[in-house]
Amino acid sequence: MVKRWKDDHALIGGLGLLLLIVAATWAVAGESPAAPATTPAPGASGGAETSTTPFAYAAPALIKELDEKFPFPPPAPPWPPRLGGVLHIPTGVLRHFDPLTGYGTELALVWDTLLEWESTWYFPDAQTQPVIRKSLAESWQMVDASTWIFHLRQGVKFHNRPPVHGREMTAEDVRYSYDLLKGKSGYSSRGAAIERVDVVDRYTVRIHLKGPDPHFPINHVNSFSPVIVPKEAAEAEGGLGKYPVGTGAFLLKEFAAGEGVLLVKNPDYFMRDKDGRQLPYVDAIRLIFTRDAATEAALFRSKRVDMIRPPTLDMLYELLKTVPDAYLYRVPSYGWGNYGLMLRLDKAPYDDVRVRQALSMAINRDIVAEIINRGDASLYGPFPWVLAGYTQRSEYSTENLGPNYEYNPQRARQLLAEAGYPNGFDMTIEWGEFRGYAWGDFAVAIGRFFEDIGIRVKLKQVDTSTWWTMRFGGQPFAEALISFTPPGSGPGFMDWVYLPHHSSSPPTVNVPHIKDPKLDALLDEWRVASGDKQLALQRQVWDYLREQVYRITTIVPPHYRMSQSYLHAGGVPHCWFIGFCSYEGKTAWMTEKAPARRFDKFAQ
Amino acid sequence: MWRYLVRRFLQGLLVLFLVSLVVFSLVRLLPGDAILMQLDQAAALTPEDLERARQELGLDRPFVQQYVTWAAGLLTGDLGRSLVSRKPVAEELSKRLILTFHLAVMSLVIALLIALPIGILSAVRQDTVVDYLGRLFAILGLSLPDFWLATVTITFLAIWFQWMPPMGFEPIWVDPLKNLTQLAIPALIIGARLAAVSMRMTRSSLLEVLRQDYIRTAWAKGLREQGIIVRHALKNAMIPVVTIVGQQFSVLLGGTVIVEFIFLQPGVGSLILDAVLLRDYTLVQGTVMFFATVMVGMNLLVDLTYAWFDPRIRYS
Repeated sequence: MVKRWKDDHALIGGLGLLLLIVAATWAVAGESPAAPATTPAPGASGGAETSTTPFAYAAPALIKELDEKFPFPPPAPPWPPRLGGVLHIPTGVLRHFDPLTGYGTELALVWDTLLEWESTWYFPDAQTQPVIRKSLAESWQMVDASTWIFHLRQGVKFHNRPPVHGREMTAEDVRYSYDLLKGKSGYSSRGAAIERVDVVDRYTVRIHLKGPDPHFPINHVNSFSPVIVPKEAAEAEGGLGKYPVGTGAFLLKEFAAGEGVLLVKNPDYFMRDKDGRQLPYVDAIRLIFTRDAATEAALFRSKRVDMIRPPTLDMLYELLKTVPDAYLYRVPSYGWGNYGLMLRLDKAPYDDVRVRQALSMAINRDIVAEIINRGDASLYGPFPWVLAGYTQRSEYSTENLGPNYEYNPQRARQLLAEAGYPNGFDMTIEWGEFRGYAWGDFAVAIGRFFEDIGIRVKLKQVDTSTWWTMRFGGQPFAEALISFTPPGSGPGFMDWVYLPHHSSSPPTVNVPHIKDPKLDALLDEWRVASGDKQLALQRQVWDYLREQVYRITTIVPPHYRMSQSYLHAGGVPHCWFIGFCSYEGKTAWMTEKAPARRFDKFAQ
Repeated sequence: MWRYLVRRFLQGLLVLFLVSLVVFSLVRLLPGDAILMQLDQAAALTPEDLERARQELGLDRPFVQQYVTWAAGLLTGDLGRSLVSRKPVAEELSKRLILTFHLAVMSLVIALLIALPIGILSAVRQDTVVDYLGRLFAILGLSLPDFWLATVTITFLAIWFQWMPPMGFEPIWVDPLKNLTQLAIPALIIGARLAAVSMRMTRSSLLEVLRQDYIRTAWAKGLREQGIIVRHALKNAMIPVVTIVGQQFSVLLGGTVIVEFIFLQPGVGSLILDAVLLRDYTLVQGTVMFFATVMVGMNLLVDLTYAWFDPRIRYS
């Protein structure tokens, strides 16, 4: 009897607990704001068009608030900078820190190239002619279009550690580095253009190109170029992995496998700011390997990292709620991070321009922008708008892209019928998870759009590694692959357009195998043209590619970079990868409110 | 006993041979290879360039030749070199193993500290509130995914306390306090799940033992409850628990990938996952073989401890 009494009470207690949990859940759910039935959407075009959609209930107000609170261009940071401090930056996992073993943008903090992009190019009032910052090279001359002379900066020292012991960098180091690296995977797109490098004197090299290129310096700038390494370190046992000696702003102090990298200031760095102060300003940088968005957000909230690049508006919103004093750089993307589709141009029906145009017209880019980033995105064409001469955001419209980029499913069906597919066709779209991208949502969205015009779509998810090898041409994809378009190392037409579209480029660069003699002719003419003629040719290529739709492009979300209130970035705010604009690390500085951090070893 | 050990050793060798064949083959069935994984937007390489890069790494040789070369190295203790970092697999593994070992031991200690008392109480006080609460704990521990628990923990720690465990792993013999601070929370999360499993096994095993005649005799003799449980019942009940704990330890040594990811602990789990993603064949093969060996050894050790728990068990 006692046991039965106890059992009954236990049962009643359990039921009571369950009811309590359910009631609490209802109460919490009842507090969420209801979505208004219709809300004007900003439109991916950036223009004034409105449409009613249930998707954007939260975004327009937030986007407006962001525009007001964090205007673009951002205000100039206070001056002069404060020296010292340890900067913490989250990055993806690096398996090594050795330029010989593979390319990584973070390596630009330790090893320099001959030239860099200057930090003054920005967007949308973009300079159509990017500006180069002199790094290891101080000046250059063209002997002829296939021969260039570079004069090196004198007095640049390698890091003062064995086996190099701080000796001066010379022309022989440049020759050696180019010979060593130009065939390696991470540098081959630049190295492919170079025949050989000769030493003229201690501080002068002559670069012989395989073909004429009157714009070689601008086409050669930055991350993809061979970095300058000392022979003694490269050929010592263990190589540069064991002796990571360069000329860069930082020395590699510790590579903690799986955890991160500790870099300390190079006391002999050659670069100075406009007031003559030696760079970098910070004492050290700790690169922290992260794999998970929630962890990265937690690191930012707890001030373990000083900046974060939230991939979506939703994550940005959550972070702003919990770190109200953070500063946000929200800048339109030049083109990095766009959402597109690559097609097998060597296979029917994608070799028919009408089919490609139809596929492009079938997509409602406003809806894609809503789905991917709640409407906070810009239209994106065949390549960055700026390279075609459109420098104002108000110009990013379907009017300037043309009818192939306007949502018109009826016309799309007509084109398919004209191409011989009145009943559509079967299509396989492959995609893979990739951090920072909502490929899955994008795949579903365009799959639905294509089905609306009669195409029977099969979505096939592959693992990230397989997607990666397909994306970079190592393996063929079936018919269509969701991907970003080939990005460049900076604002150069060579990277964004010439190399990925010219038929002479290997399949790892020209992944969809574009073989178009007319396009080749335009690109070859561009390569040797100069000044305004080059810009005009860029616009011609743009117009041509708009018609051909070799790659289907849709939208590109802006870059979000949040930083702690004590961090000032001296460089370009829309620096996406630390290495593409290495000056971010060189010119960042922190106020006295920054946490005190040691830098004797990676572990703190 | 010696015959038993020799027999088990030979069986172990056979298992390891089969594992080596399977892992060597499976990893090569994955699309792509280490060369292709190193491609990026800067890589302007022709198919000939790619083939040349494969030759440098020996990936162009016939399957059997690659296997024999690798297996011969294994027999001399050489696990090979990573195709990505070019460092010895043993070196890559050893760095991660220390952390994983710390995490595994700490998780297991936490698990046992939770599971054994609750499991014993639950069995001894069967069908009471204590038992129900213990079983509720076990259900929760089994149902709540550790990745969810880890994400929620780390998010709320950051939001409520602006705190995260310190970065940069330090072994316990270098900085005990920091080590405990770093690993306590991930160990608790992993340990909670292990505790749930062990608790249920302890409870059901002890219940079975408590129903034995000799226990009834002990009660009849008037022995105290504590003495009956600890001296008479527990030892016999521990055999299945030891089996479970041994298996759990082996699995933990293989790494808990998601918890490692979330708490920024660079253990073996993330090493293997990265190796698979980068198609680093030798690293995958070497690591799997290492753990297969550990697993075979652990199984033998667990089997041998049975004899200590139950003197009736003798190996011949």
